[in-house]
Amino acid sequence: MTPALVCERLVKRYGDKTVVDRVGFHIDEGEAYGLLGPNGAGKTTTISMLVGLLRPDEGSVRVGGIDVDEDPVAAKRLIGYVPQEIALYPELTARENLRYFGRLHGLPRRELASRIGEVLDLVGLSGRGDDKVGTYSGGMKRRTNIAVALLHRPRLLILDEPTVGVDPQSRVAILDRVEALVGEGMSLLYTSHYMEEVERVCTRVGIIDQGRVVADGSKRELVAELGGTDRVELTLDGDVTAAAEKLRTVEGVSEAVVTGSSSIRLLVAGGRHLLPALLSAVGDTGAVTGVEVVEPDLEAAFLHLTGSTLRD
Amino acid sequence: MAKTLGKSTLSALLVVGGHELRSRLRDGTAPLIALVAPILLATMFGLALGGDDDPPFKATIGVVDLDGGEFPASVQREALNTDELKGVLTFRQYPDEAAARGAVDGGESGAALVFPAGFSESVGAGRGGQVSVLESPESPLAGVVARSMVDRISALVEARTLAVRASLEAGVPADRVQLFVEENGAAGPALSLVGDPVSGGKVDLAVHYGAGMAVMFAFFVVGTTARSLLVERQNGTLDRMRAAPLPLWTALMGKSAVGFGLALVSMCATWLSSVLIFGASWGDPLGVFLLLLAHVFAATAIVMLVASRAKTDAQADGYTLGVAFVFAFLGGSIVPVYNLPEWLRSVSLITPNGWVSAGLSELAGTGAGPSAVLVPIAVVTGIGVVAGTLALLGFRKGRFA
Ligand SMILES: Nc1ncnc2c1ncn2[C@@H]1O[C@H](COP(=O)(O)OP(=O)(O)OP(=O)(O)O)[C@@H](O)[C@H]1O
Ligand SMILES: [Mg+2]
Repeated sequence: MTPALVCERLVKRYGDKTVVDRVGFHIDEGEAYGLLGPNGAGKTTTISMLVGLLRPDEGSVRVGGIDVDEDPVAAKRLIGYVPQEIALYPELTARENLRYFGRLHGLPRRELASRIGEVLDLVGLSGRGDDKVGTYSGGMKRRTNIAVALLHRPRLLILDEPTVGVDPQSRVAILDRVEALVGEGMSLLYTSHYMEEVERVCTRVGIIDQGRVVADGSKRELVAELGGTDRVELTLDGDVTAAAEKLRTVEGVSEAVVTGSSSIRLLVAGGRHLLPALLSAVGDTGAVTGVEVVEPDLEAAFLHLTGSTLRD
Repeated sequence: MAKTLGKSTLSALLVVGGHELRSRLRDGTAPLIALVAPILLATMFGLALGGDDDPPFKATIGVVDLDGGEFPASVQREALNTDELKGVLTFRQYPDEAAARGAVDGGESGAALVFPAGFSESVGAGRGGQVSVLESPESPLAGVVARSMVDRISALVEARTLAVRASLEAGVPADRVQLFVEENGAAGPALSLVGDPVSGGKVDLAVHYGAGMAVMFAFFVVGTTARSLLVERQNGTLDRMRAAPLPLWTALMGKSAVGFGLALVSMCATWLSSVLIFGASWGDPLGVFLLLLAHVFAATAIVMLVASRAKTDAQADGYTLGVAFVFAFLGGSIVPVYNLPEWLRSVSLITPNGWVSAGLSELAGTGAGPSAVLVPIAVVTGIGVVAGTLALLGFRKGRFA
């Protein structure tokens, strides 16, 4: 079967800065693919090239077998794109926004009316469809932002951090809907800082850092690369920077990064056995108030691959 | 396939255009800029400058004839007989340059021409000659008339000098040449000042300046489209439009078309209200319409070029404002072109404003038909094509088109 998306060796430079550096991955039909990366990793820039908003300096993109550079119009028909920033007319109602973008997608009037009802339902905004978007809360705007991309029932849905600024309840609702759409056969490209969202929704994950895809595989494959390494979350009162410094010197610790004013994340081979060594390494730089040893997960894989945390 | 694409593109253009127009109507800018402002403009200029109350343009030009020959006499005779200057011009004689200078400074004459002694003879003999002009800053128009007369005289003198020299070279006896020149000189230098701002002496000032303002205003009207384009870019809605399955230029064209349409309505509103309310005469309607149409096209292209270089809506506003004023200034819509230094006057030729003003003067002043303004229409359209091409290239290069 033709993959939903194939991109190869995508490069984008701004001046002498290469912000996307030979990025390549593919998404099979019906597959949910997550692109995980910290701020400035190049996720949005990559997506802009995938949806035909930005011309790559090098490389190619095929959507459903169609080259985006050769036939952008046909390729765009297959894509539902949700931009990272809210892209709506605040002075119009959600319904009016949907109608405008739906017509740009060539949906006939009659069909459009019923689709608008459907997608408003889908994002849980049926009751507020006739209110101006400018009067919406941040989460409602986000949901409308997503609704616009669903109107034409795309084969490939591309979501660029769709849950930023959404309360946990709405986030769960959005994820449920996205999962349901994937269940119905829609292919998905999902970018996020939120590891747990990607873990939940996506079957395959690419990790992107400084413009490069540093790893790509199923969650299990990525975690397997860690070997017997555990993730240890340490909380302490005291000088976290100094403590992290000391922890890095402990045999078996491959990473130790400060993740908050009183928290440190470590990658430790055979985590449990090394706990006493870790505690004594912290020594007088602070008083340890909590230790958590976590099974290898994407967060650990990310730290292992990039030496940094996702959220900063 | 091509046909369905064409159809869907057209309907997308309509969707984009309809959306743009609705939002212009919703925020009230469309009726304001397309109707209210231009009608006000025409009314203000009509009240301030229009009608028959204006004293018609008159100029008194002093003549110092130190030559006493046929040439100065024929210049005056001919000038008084030309269509443009008949009834406008009066000549007053002074014995010498000092007397003329005093008269010009005192305001008795607007300007003066000084023919040096032996002028006619010198020209007849193929040695050329020079007429000088005395001017006063108080009477710029008279100065212009005098100077343009001298320009014509110089051209004639030069032509005759060449002819006489050629005849002499060819071996025609000098006295026969002299005779021949004098006989033909009596037919007089054919003075014509067509195309000069002086011919505007017969154009209603309200029309000249009202039209000039409308020409400038067209930039502002299209500017609202440029601004909305930039706002949409900042809001991300432009990217959303660009992510729709449409040729990339659809968004740009749909919005530009609305700017174009509103600017056309705006210019026609100035024109029609000036004609209907004040009975002003703009000349042949088809000619006027074609000129306005060409101008709106050029203005749209220029503003889009400006927008393609702007990063924010405020920047687009600023650029549009700057371009509109500079072009209006150069094009003679704010001060008369002949008040500008020579080099700026030639710069005026790259502005659509200058050409449109010249074309409108031609239509209003001479009562000529559309064929008389084909050159201005072609040039202005050409300016639009160049600017439009550059704009498209700019948009393609940026993240726009
Ligand atoms: N138009 C531009 N000009 C110059 N640099 C740019 C431009 N657009 C993006 N960049 C740079 O490219 C890099 C990648 O940006 P991008 O927006 O793709 O990151 P991201 O992974 O989406 O980050 P975030 O998670 O914060 O959204 C950043 O360093 C950014 O500064
Ligand atoms: Mg981003």
